Amino acid sequence: MSISTVVLVILFGLIFSSFSLIQNVWTDPQRYFSSELSVSETQFYVVYMALVLISVFVSYIIYLLLTLRTRAEIMVLDKTKSLLISLDQFTKLYEGAPVPYIILNKKGEIVESNKAALRFFGVVEKEIIDKNIFSFQPKEDSEKADKFLQYYKSNIPINKEEIRMITKSGEVKWVMLSVFEMKDLKDPTHTGLATIFDITERKQLDQAKTEFVSLASHQLRTPVSTVKWYTDMLRSGSLGELQPKQTEYIDTIYKVNEGMIDLIDLLLNISRTEIGTLKMDIKAANVIDITDNILVELSSQIQEKNININKQYNNKLKNIKSDPKLLRIVIQNLLSNAVKYAPQGGEVGIIFKDSLIEKTISVSDNGIGIPKGEQFKIFTKLFRASNTHDSQGTGLGLYLVKSIMKTIGGDISFISEENKGTTFTIKL
Amino acid sequence: MEEKNTEQNKKKVLVVDDDNNLRRVLVDKLSLSGFDTAGASNGKEGLEKALEWHPDAILLDILMPIMNGQQMLKELRADEWGKNVKVIMLTVIEDANSIAQAMEDGSLAYLIKTEQTMDEVVEKVKSMLK
Repeated sequence: MSISTVVLVILFGLIFSSFSLIQNVWTDPQRYFSSELSVSETQFYVVYMALVLISVFVSYIIYLLLTLRTRAEIMVLDKTKSLLISLDQFTKLYEGAPVPYIILNKKGEIVESNKAALRFFGVVEKEIIDKNIFSFQPKEDSEKADKFLQYYKSNIPINKEEIRMITKSGEVKWVMLSVFEMKDLKDPTHTGLATIFDITERKQLDQAKTEFVSLASHQLRTPVSTVKWYTDMLRSGSLGELQPKQTEYIDTIYKVNEGMIDLIDLLLNISRTEIGTLKMDIKAANVIDITDNILVELSSQIQEKNININKQYNNKLKNIKSDPKLLRIVIQNLLSNAVKYAPQGGEVGIIFKDSLIEKTISVSDNGIGIPKGEQFKIFTKLFRASNTHDSQGTGLGLYLVKSIMKTIGGDISFISEENKGTTFTIKL
Repeated sequence: MEEKNTEQNKKKVLVVDDDNNLRRVLVDKLSLSGFDTAGASNGKEGLEKALEWHPDAILLDILMPIMNGQQMLKELRADEWGKNVKVIMLTVIEDANSIAQAMEDGSLAYLIKTEQTMDEVVEKVKSMLK
């Protein structure tokens, strides 16, 4: 409530009470005043008092009416000032933003752009105005450009699309383009706001990482392939029979080299998951075949430790939609761990379940288990439980398994008790 | 010693690999298995040798200097004789894109060196030439 309203209310109250008082005094003046004044004198004072009050009231009303315009003007000025400040702040943000912003008309032609956009394309404003934003894509990407133009014209938002754009100097840059519909008060026809994030460096880095893995893959695998095939030639007797001791030595070289091949595969797969180049290839996967093949590979360790394999298969898992190669890596890691940590004469279980809710594969062993206090670290890179005393593990297997399950959209969990065993369950 | 049969003696296999050691052991193994074999150390040399010698099968590496295996395969498939020759990619590159590309370009098999024993490679060549 403003001061003028308060003053008005008080004045109204005073006048109202004054009038009723005046009326009472007027009709019976002697009741209110001493006899020293005559009736007419008393009435004169009352009228005088009433006139003073009325004149104060009228003066205040005139004052309010006279100042009303000024006060409205002050209010408008205040609002205009804050609007100008907002506009100034917006302009500074728009013009000074490091991200290119471009305003488009309904045809996708550039109406306005900020400085970052001009810097990005290496142009001055008049060189960019009226050009279609989708015409900056290289000729090889014209199909993509047409598709996005149709999206734009049909009001379909273009959200974080990774595309290439050509600058004035002919440089091809990778960008993340977003175009959203924008309502313009001046022009109610369809317009759009395009934002361009330059991701060229990130793309180059991704490319470099991919090339590194590819190069590492080549450089590391070529020598182990050579050792594998040369020892293979000797072991197979293709170059003549070997003495038993020679066979034993060659077999050891072969076995150690196979371990090296597995380690290289593991490291390369981890690199691929970390740089995001581990691609999924979803097709029909026969989980039973995959598991049986792994068990054949592990047969020598299984026999050596006299391990009993308890298989509970479900035929529905003979044909599921997944990436067989990645699934193989997961099951191989879980099974080889189970065999490694099961005791001599122990038991390893493989249970496939296919319910309405989920498909699961559980791999269990009755081995050393994982100490309770360390269980939260089990999927961490390079983690090795304190009760594992062999030097074989790398601490990378379960880390890779977890990463792969994430990639293929599944999940992994486990229950474990020290000296009783561990069960890992993957949900497909 | 390796089993030899007269039919296989007539089959010619070209090994294209830039790694001398791997090329040598492949050539040796295939020769011992009864194939007529030859080697080339890059795609260009491989292409020239193939167009001149007309092998029945080609074992082709991918990453090679001068001309890589994918390029050689493309040029081979553009040739009247080369479009039908049996080609097995034998490489250490395992990524899905390379495999898909090789299949698209007309490779009949894609083998990863570290995953194959010598006998498995020979078996693959034999089954392909049946």
